[in-house]
Amino acid sequence: MNRYFREISVTMALGVVLLVLAVFAPAFYSPQPLLSLVTREAPTLVVACGMVLVIICRQIDISVGSVFSVCSICAGLLAARGWPLAGSVPAAMAVGALLGACNGFFVAGLQLPSIVVTLATMVILREGLNLLQQGAFVNLPDRVQWFGLSQAAGQGVLVAFALALLVALGLGMRRIAAGRWVYAVGTDAEAARLAGIRPRLLTFFVFVLMGTLAGLAAAMNIVQSPQVQPAVGTGLELKVIAAVVVGGVAISGGRGNVWGAFAGLLLLACVSPALTHLHVEAYWEKAIQGAIILLAVVADGVRQQKTAGGHP
Amino acid sequence: MSAAGPQPGWKGVLFRYETLLLAVVLVEWLFFYHYGTTTNRRGVVVGFGTVDRQFDILRHSCEIGLLALALTPVILTAGIDLSVGSLLGLCAIVFGKLWHDAGLSIPSAAALTLVAGAVAGGLNAGLITRLGLPPLIVTLGTYSLFRGLAEAMTHGAVTYTDFPAGFLFLGQERGLGVPTQAWLFLLAAVAVWLLVHRTTFGRSFRAIGFSPEGARYAGLPVARRTALVYVLAGLIAALAALIYTARLGQAKADAGTGYELFAITAVVLGGTSIFGGRGSVTGTLLGVAAIAVLKSGLACLPVVMRMNAAQEMSGILTGALLLLALTGSILPKILSPFRGRPQAG
Repeated sequence: MNRYFREISVTMALGVVLLVLAVFAPAFYSPQPLLSLVTREAPTLVVACGMVLVIICRQIDISVGSVFSVCSICAGLLAARGWPLAGSVPAAMAVGALLGACNGFFVAGLQLPSIVVTLATMVILREGLNLLQQGAFVNLPDRVQWFGLSQAAGQGVLVAFALALLVALGLGMRRIAAGRWVYAVGTDAEAARLAGIRPRLLTFFVFVLMGTLAGLAAAMNIVQSPQVQPAVGTGLELKVIAAVVVGGVAISGGRGNVWGAFAGLLLLACVSPALTHLHVEAYWEKAIQGAIILLAVVADGVRQQKTAGGHP
Repeated sequence: MSAAGPQPGWKGVLFRYETLLLAVVLVEWLFFYHYGTTTNRRGVVVGFGTVDRQFDILRHSCEIGLLALALTPVILTAGIDLSVGSLLGLCAIVFGKLWHDAGLSIPSAAALTLVAGAVAGGLNAGLITRLGLPPLIVTLGTYSLFRGLAEAMTHGAVTYTDFPAGFLFLGQERGLGVPTQAWLFLLAAVAVWLLVHRTTFGRSFRAIGFSPEGARYAGLPVARRTALVYVLAGLIAALAALIYTARLGQAKADAGTGYELFAITAVVLGGTSIFGGRGSVTGTLLGVAAIAVLKSGLACLPVVMRMNAAQEMSGILTGALLLLALTGSILPKILSPFRGRPQAG
């Protein structure tokens, strides 16, 4: 209970929200809108999984939104040129990996603070994309949408894939040595180095993985609509970081897991439909999301002070 | 940004990071003056080299400049405040509401707005110092909260306009020959400079940034000093909101969106270490100047005008400049035989 306090409490908060919705707005549970909601969040979940690793490694990546946009446009342009999905999806992942490697080079190679590096790459990529694309939409051929399947089947495939990735990463972080290394480096890089782990190399690969997952998420996103707009992914970084933090991943590194981030993401994703169904004006969405983030970290802070016995 | 502090004499001045940055700003300015100034068909000089354009740069850099000034002490204490841009939006709405809906006079509405800004900064301060929470996450939460409150208060649609001419004078006219808000900006800059460089407060900010534990052992009231910088940031963000409203003549909920990024860029470009402890207000001002001149100058270059890409180019170049400045700042560390311990952001 103690160790997984945050994961459990977020899941309970999610349960309460779902229960309230079940009582006051049963319409929320009609299958098609619910499936659409979950499908919309599937790419976000994939990005959040990557962000969990980055934050556990005691870094942060605020360029994911821009990387996501660049990969979306790349995949979209390739698909529009007639590439099959089997070609354009790996291409998007490769572009993401390359951009992640750039971040990794500056952060791990040159030992620069990740928040400033990714701030810079975020602006550079976003504006570079605007420069090349000038706000133009990319029209996709019909066979791209939902992989050429029916909508429900396509949605099912996407959700199943995102969940499979979540489970794989969740187990991997716990069972595989490389997963434990991420925790070790995030807890104390110097101690990890003395234990024979190479923190800088590991950090580099975490950023590469982050980029790859952002590229994959971009590919999962473009199959959902007939067009790709260049502004897609704007603000994604804050949404993802918020979900991860609400899910109990400590920004100081070394603590948290993808399950908590999953619960956090679902909780934040439920806010907007819950407001609609409970007839609260939608303008409150951002304020409520901010309040949830603050509530989550305040709960953490109060609990830490209690366990530490007053002052830390 | 030298680790050992400034060297004595002219060498110390010459080899300081600020001097390098000043040179960069001057080169930038001369470049744009040369390539960005043209004469139109009637023989009138247009483009970068006009006095109007210089005032325009000044006018447009005041709000981001104020936010950068607010962030300098924050980052000196190894903190960060992502919420200043959102707070600017919230304060603009609070001001508009107090004046338009509550019927207060402009001075009292402005005073109350400043109080509101300080209170909002106090919320950040309380969460960070009382509960020992990481500033990045607290201000990420308030980033969302403040903007959300601004949207909720206006239903995302209401815009307050028709401010009296006396108030618009602050943002659109000239006082004593230069844009009026430049005087306020100058006042704020001098005040922050005095605070950071000429009082024991500034010294304690650095001490906290280097090592909060060390500062505590040295007898500094770490929590109170840290709280001060966030309250100050809120106060300055409110001032920026007033100037923003006066410049545009309207208060709306999306005021200042994304400003925090430019402000942080200016501070870091100005040589303040994101890990805290090192930095100067002069550097921040030069950082703001570097960004503002770049942004305005690019809009005057014929080649950029043809491509209609001033905003994009300035974003790309600002980001590249930031990466370059960062890389430059760690060159001594890389070249030295003793490699530093890995640091995390």
